[in-house]
Amino acid sequence: MTDRRRINGPPGGTRPPIFASSLESTSDIVAERPQRQRQPNELRKIFLKTGLIPSASGSSYLEFEPSTSLSAARSKPKSVIPPSSSLKLACTVHGPKPLPRSATFSPNLVLTTHVKYAPFAGRRRKGHVRDASERDLGVHLETALRGAIVAERWPKSGLDITITILEAEDDRWWGDAPDSHDAAWGMMNVLAGCITAASAAISDARIDCLDLVAGGVAAVVADETAGRETTSQLMLDTDPADHRSILSACVVAYMPARDEITELWLKGDNSKSSVGTDNRGLGHEALIDGAVDAARGAHSVLAEAVRESAQRFAGLPSGDFT
Amino acid sequence: MAAQRQASSASQTPHLSPAELSYLYTSLSLPGTPIRPDGRSPTQFRPLAAETDILPGTNGSARVGFADGTQAIVGVKAEVERTALGIQALSTAEQQDYAAAGNDDRGGGNNGGSKQGSVSGSGQGSWVQMAIEIPGFRDDDALPVFLAEMMREPLVESVSGGGEGGMVGGLKGRLVINRRWHWRLYIDVLLLSQPLSYPLPLLSLTTHLALLATKLPKLKSKGEEDPFFDDDWNAAEYLYPRVKSTKHSSIPGSISVHKVRPPVTLLVVSVAENIIFDPSREEIAVADAVLAISVTYDTDFDRLKLLSIRTIDPPSRLTQPGVPNSENVATLGSTTAAEESVIVNPSTGEEEVPGVWRPRRGGVKRATIAKMIKMVLEKGGVGEEVLDGLEGVEVG
Repeated sequence: MTDRRRINGPPGGTRPPIFASSLESTSDIVAERPQRQRQPNELRKIFLKTGLIPSASGSSYLEFEPSTSLSAARSKPKSVIPPSSSLKLACTVHGPKPLPRSATFSPNLVLTTHVKYAPFAGRRRKGHVRDASERDLGVHLETALRGAIVAERWPKSGLDITITILEAEDDRWWGDAPDSHDAAWGMMNVLAGCITAASAAISDARIDCLDLVAGGVAAVVADETAGRETTSQLMLDTDPADHRSILSACVVAYMPARDEITELWLKGDNSKSSVGTDNRGLGHEALIDGAVDAARGAHSVLAEAVRESAQRFAGLPSGDFT
Repeated sequence: MAAQRQASSASQTPHLSPAELSYLYTSLSLPGTPIRPDGRSPTQFRPLAAETDILPGTNGSARVGFADGTQAIVGVKAEVERTALGIQALSTAEQQDYAAAGNDDRGGGNNGGSKQGSVSGSGQGSWVQMAIEIPGFRDDDALPVFLAEMMREPLVESVSGGGEGGMVGGLKGRLVINRRWHWRLYIDVLLLSQPLSYPLPLLSLTTHLALLATKLPKLKSKGEEDPFFDDDWNAAEYLYPRVKSTKHSSIPGSISVHKVRPPVTLLVVSVAENIIFDPSREEIAVADAVLAISVTYDTDFDRLKLLSIRTIDPPSRLTQPGVPNSENVATLGSTTAAEESVIVNPSTGEEEVPGVWRPRRGGVKRATIAKMIKMVLEKGGVGEEVLDGLEGVEVG
């Protein structure tokens, strides 16, 4: 659906011209491609803080650690275009509040999730009206959270969860042609971040849940290194900008205490990677288990953030614990 | 109502009483042999009637009707479009042109050939557009958007090998005409009836048949020329190429088979220990977990391959709970046999009284997910059965 109420800017930026004389060699552009510096099972650090928006009943802010190339480019910029991006999002929870008089009776809590990218979040501008991918993310988030909330504790009430994505993950390295691996892989990282942040914000709003739901991403990537043939590998918490080709990826919403998955989204065709090697370590089960491991990692950060929120609520000094 | 509409499962909110839900759940969760309301076996599908090529104005179309009266029509249209090139592709093309200009007399033609080979396998997922219309829903409501993304995803995700009747790069690769031009595919799905049950299996099967019936005009131009097509519709080629059947025993040799087939999305639910396929509206209302699993068949791979999985919010979480006699004011003083309640989880006060419905809580165990996927993918399993059945539908 197009936005006809506003005058919208152009969807994409213009790339600054690069003059051939300023380049030392023709391979200069290619060399700038970011590389994953972490181990395959090493997660990015997560910054998660609750209660930053006082007008909401619960809120949280989540930020992923910028990749090595991005932090290097921030301190010593070589180009106007940042090499990769890191996720930043804010989540607010309003409610539980009574449903409007016009609404039909509901014996359960009516959960509404609203995910919106800020217009400046990605490399291509997003409109003010939510597009299909944002609605899709909203449905995924709702599925993930509804499993954790005890809905019949709150009859006739509504809970609104609003997420604003301030900086989105890239779907691929910006210099690649859109066809190199064009699926929206960045969306899966965004969803994992949304789940973790929403879970923290719900706890911050003092709504009791079965468990803290954490989101995690794992992917099977095929990186071709110069000279050698392509090898597929399972990686946790992948940054799509780091990889030349992602074969399949999986995001889960996981409750560690119950060992249950409330949301599973797996996509991609990795039959080619597993058919040659006959390696079961790259199948869908390994992928799901990898994503669960990533979610366990995010859960430890989440638990710490919720503890901080509880201490603030109880009036205890925060930051003293180690 | 807007809030209700938002939920993908809210359209399914069943109007069943807690007692009915409890009865359904108990009969579906019988260990080993679930009793389904319509008497099917756990892996049996509802009977359906299908026909293809019903819309003359499209490149391919199909209609499928289930026995319960739900019907869907899918039309596929194709359009030629210019390809936008990325910075890397542009620079490599420039380098190649430069190299070709440099040694024009030697390997110019050869170079062009290799260039052709390097780009022919890649396409973009955005070239396939899908729109779903369901009566009673706006086109930007959550359910149609979610369903469209769910069905588009496996379609563009699938990659496959070359060879006779193969498609290099899957559907995306098939849409490439040359380096500058490509096909854009519009898939329009129309549900004719009210969505009585979750419409995903119906829409997925119809889309599968429509894509099998889709033909693209035969290309007459060669290489990097602007595309120019044969105007004889009889010479048109199928989008999913076919080869003559060789060893497939269940299908007579006169019917050509596909080496690569479009994916199908199957709806699988779990009720207690049981896994049930193609759930009806009543069955999905009491399901513990609902998964949409997309699979396709690849001859190179010689078994089914998994393309995508999505969880769907089970509507059982939105149902009204039953009140056990011990909590009911009307029966509090009665001397009827005390119901034995089992405390499932003491921390949340979750307790299960037999015969009293509780909305489902929590998620699904990993072992259950693994079991569901295995039942779809295994040789001779449900996925193969469905794809073989669809192959039997006469197309074109």
